[in-house]
Amino acid sequence: MPYHTFKCSECIPERAMHAVVKGPGEDLTSCLPLGYLNTIPGTISERGCAFCGAKHVIGAPMKDVIHLCHGPVGCTYDTWHTKRYISDNDNNQLKYAWATDVKEKNVVFGAEKLLKKTIIDTFKAQPHLKRMTIYQTCATALIGDDMDAVAREVMEELGDVDIFVCNAPGFGGPSQSGGHHKINIAWVDQKVGTKEPKIESDYVINYVGDYNIQGDAEIMCDYFHRMGIQVLSTFTGNSTFDELATMHRAHLNVLECARSAEYICNELRVRYGIPRLDIDGFGFDLLNESLMKVAMFFGLEEKAQKIIDEENARWRPELDWYARRLKGKRICLWPGGSKLWHWAHVIEEEMGVKVVSVYSKFGHQGDFEKGVARCSEGALAIDDPNELEALEAMEELKPDIILTGMRPGEVAKKIRIPYLNIHAYHNGPYKGYEGWVRLARDLYNAIYSPMYQLAAIDISKDEIPLERGFRSRRMISDVTLSPEEANVEGEHPYTGEYDNVTRLRTKVYPELEAQRAKHQEAAEEVLVPAK
Amino acid sequence: MGDTKFCELKPKDRAGVINPIFTCQPAGAQYASIGVKDCTAIVHGGQGCVMFVRLLFGQQFKENFDIASSSLHEDGAVFGATKRVEDAVDVLLMRYPEVKVVPIITTCSTEIIGDDIDGVVTKLNKGLLKQKYAGREVHLIPMHTPSFTGSMITGYDLAVKDFVEHFAKKTEPNGKLNLLTGWVNPGDVTALKHLLAEMQVDATVLFEIENFDSPLMPDKSAVSHGDTTIEDLQGTANAIGTLALNRYEGAQAAQYLKSEFDVPAIIGPTPIGIRNTDIFLKNVSAMTGKPIPRSLVEERGRAVDAIVDLSHMFFADKKVAIYGNPDLVIGLAEFCLDMEMKPVLLLLGDDNPSYKNDPRIKALQENVDYKMEIITNADIMDLESRIKNKEVELDLILGHSKGRWTSIDNGVPMVRVGFPTFDRAGGYRHPVVGYAGAIWLAEQMANTIFTDMEYKRNKEWILNVW
Repeated sequence: MPYHTFKCSECIPERAMHAVVKGPGEDLTSCLPLGYLNTIPGTISERGCAFCGAKHVIGAPMKDVIHLCHGPVGCTYDTWHTKRYISDNDNNQLKYAWATDVKEKNVVFGAEKLLKKTIIDTFKAQPHLKRMTIYQTCATALIGDDMDAVAREVMEELGDVDIFVCNAPGFGGPSQSGGHHKINIAWVDQKVGTKEPKIESDYVINYVGDYNIQGDAEIMCDYFHRMGIQVLSTFTGNSTFDELATMHRAHLNVLECARSAEYICNELRVRYGIPRLDIDGFGFDLLNESLMKVAMFFGLEEKAQKIIDEENARWRPELDWYARRLKGKRICLWPGGSKLWHWAHVIEEEMGVKVVSVYSKFGHQGDFEKGVARCSEGALAIDDPNELEALEAMEELKPDIILTGMRPGEVAKKIRIPYLNIHAYHNGPYKGYEGWVRLARDLYNAIYSPMYQLAAIDISKDEIPLERGFRSRRMISDVTLSPEEANVEGEHPYTGEYDNVTRLRTKVYPELEAQRAKHQEAAEEVLVPAK
Repeated sequence: MGDTKFCELKPKDRAGVINPIFTCQPAGAQYASIGVKDCTAIVHGGQGCVMFVRLLFGQQFKENFDIASSSLHEDGAVFGATKRVEDAVDVLLMRYPEVKVVPIITTCSTEIIGDDIDGVVTKLNKGLLKQKYAGREVHLIPMHTPSFTGSMITGYDLAVKDFVEHFAKKTEPNGKLNLLTGWVNPGDVTALKHLLAEMQVDATVLFEIENFDSPLMPDKSAVSHGDTTIEDLQGTANAIGTLALNRYEGAQAAQYLKSEFDVPAIIGPTPIGIRNTDIFLKNVSAMTGKPIPRSLVEERGRAVDAIVDLSHMFFADKKVAIYGNPDLVIGLAEFCLDMEMKPVLLLLGDDNPSYKNDPRIKALQENVDYKMEIITNADIMDLESRIKNKEVELDLILGHSKGRWTSIDNGVPMVRVGFPTFDRAGGYRHPVVGYAGAIWLAEQMANTIFTDMEYKRNKEWILNVW
């Protein structure tokens, strides 16, 4: 087994099997780190808790819901303002954070009364919101409040509200992943099947495992709508509570982030017979394949091909412009979970970069199976990385950029390695064809930032060129290109808009309109039987 | 005047919280811990209690700070998790040879399951530290900060006291002043140290956090960390006096030093604005016997000069709402009054019962001649709902970034001040204390109002001549 031992972790033998280097000719049978085991205390791991996996990752993107955390105030406060999951209803879910604010006396005597009063007061304070999720936290799990009973009581009393209960305390599992699992199952147990959708198309899907980071889900729905497919819900980005309660009526579950949302797809398959189709929304070729896969299920290949042709023609020249300049750049692909396998090979193939390391904070061994299988030789794969290991890896691998979260990005900054935020994104969305170009653009901008060149200069001893008061990115990136390479006919940098999502919200989709009209007609025929 | 009905002090009248002003106790203790050199705290609880607090600090300073977790999982929650603290201490010490100070910060979960942290520390002191780490200076400091008590403010206050209580040791008088800054930014520490330097006063600053604003160095050598040393903390018992600038953030430590070592203490006022900075300097002068030099008279004059240009032309009678840390909120309100503004709504984010005895709040109640509300246990919804229901009409909000949408959605301009400020660049670099802070605050307020006037086309022409 080609396990990699970090010098900084030699003293903790428990870490021995958590990192591997994929050697020549090696595959999963010989090269797979352990995954999803309890964290070693004191390592300064990057992991969060199960509560945040449930509330912050999956629950909170639901856009018309009061996300009430039942516990002390910190759980809700600390997970507020940490993500960019937008919505088309003025970002209600970004603006508010709710808690019962449990105090000592509640811990001693129980906090169910406080919970009930808070639910009622909160609905009263924000009367336009009629849906609520209540999240258990460590404190209220330990004191044993019966949140389900309180929720049932309030629903009966108020009549017009619907409350979902999520029991995923922070300590429930090695990482956020424990919470992903719990909220998936709780949703399908409690809410799926309680509402009926209006079916408006012959082709009906749920788009699952997309949290609409900077508009990802809206970009994907644009493609589906162009094919005439009705999207009942996106689990959970930009979706309403009631939309997600109708998931049982879809013909197909199209699954993006299998790490966080495969559970609900599997349950929907078992309970309602809805098939699961895994896709990749990132990368041109993968997206081509993915759209075609969805189309083939419904017999919509021609429509998919039209989108694929249009999008590739529009955006490929821009991607190629960046790829030419990103060729050979070394990247550490250090996401939370699924992007390690979503991106590992396609970013190499389409942008020419070299993925020198992948890591995952909360991935399971299954994610490493997919990730290690997809990444190329020599890549260092790390499970549950910690601060020192990440630093050691950066010193050793000398990446040109790391793709990770905001805080580890600040660690990298100090050793003069730029970072790109791939949890919340720099300037996303990164999904879709245009999104992939935006990612390439952001990579290019970071790697060729004149500021990082300046950061390397020590004015006390280094010679500095005195003839020019600036360097543009282009002046740095194009020095290694021949004039022909630098000016390929048709290739050019990104020309899209700063905001490429908002306009989709008012877009008209003829294929979907046609489907709607057809179903409307059919419904009217049922209502007025022919004489 | 003198009629108390104008200014009401009352708690929020809704159960639960919508948009909290503060986070919980462990975060406050963690903030204190990063101010100490060679110190890495272990938070005993779920991983989120650390992960997201580190992210919060990261967002505030755009820097990384190291804090460890005992990573409480299900088995620990059921069977007790003291072993995980032992493991965490060992793993941390093995891999971070420079670490000398390890606060062990509890959370709601580990307080409820009743893990005996003090017992663990005793056990480790007698065992692991004596054997495996013999010869290495290591201080384990238990800090009890259950999240269901107090707030991040009391957590900070408690941690400062715990640090001082652990280290302070009476030896020889050191002629220094203890300066307990409270929960401030690097820019504030710089401003305070500047004032003391002008007074030729040598001070032990708790905490030395100027380096939270650390450079990006060509040799990759810099990282952000606190610079208050063990020696600094030990020496607090030998000071000529303690100035705790904030009543709610650091005062406990000042009182401890007074009762335990007879170190004279002055608590407050928070030196925000001209008047409170004046009192601060007079207090420094009284404690050290050093005169206030002409240079500070000039510096003060520059601040007054700048504000006089703004106050009666632009600030007079402007209605302001202020939320955030209590000493900050009260200090800002006092400064606003001096600048002829009307702070109409003060929101204090926790239920500290001693607010009603705060002489500054009493003074507001006794002297304010217009309708003013001071809400305790408040949240940002208390602000938003009053704006939406037209119970207050505001010209300006002073508060931290968590209230950004209240400002954006209701069209009330807002100056970002306090913790956390993540939606404006460089907030941590600018002081709110001292004369420099007075200038920065006044000019930020003015420029924010000016921009709003232009954006709303509200007498924007007035600035055609100024």
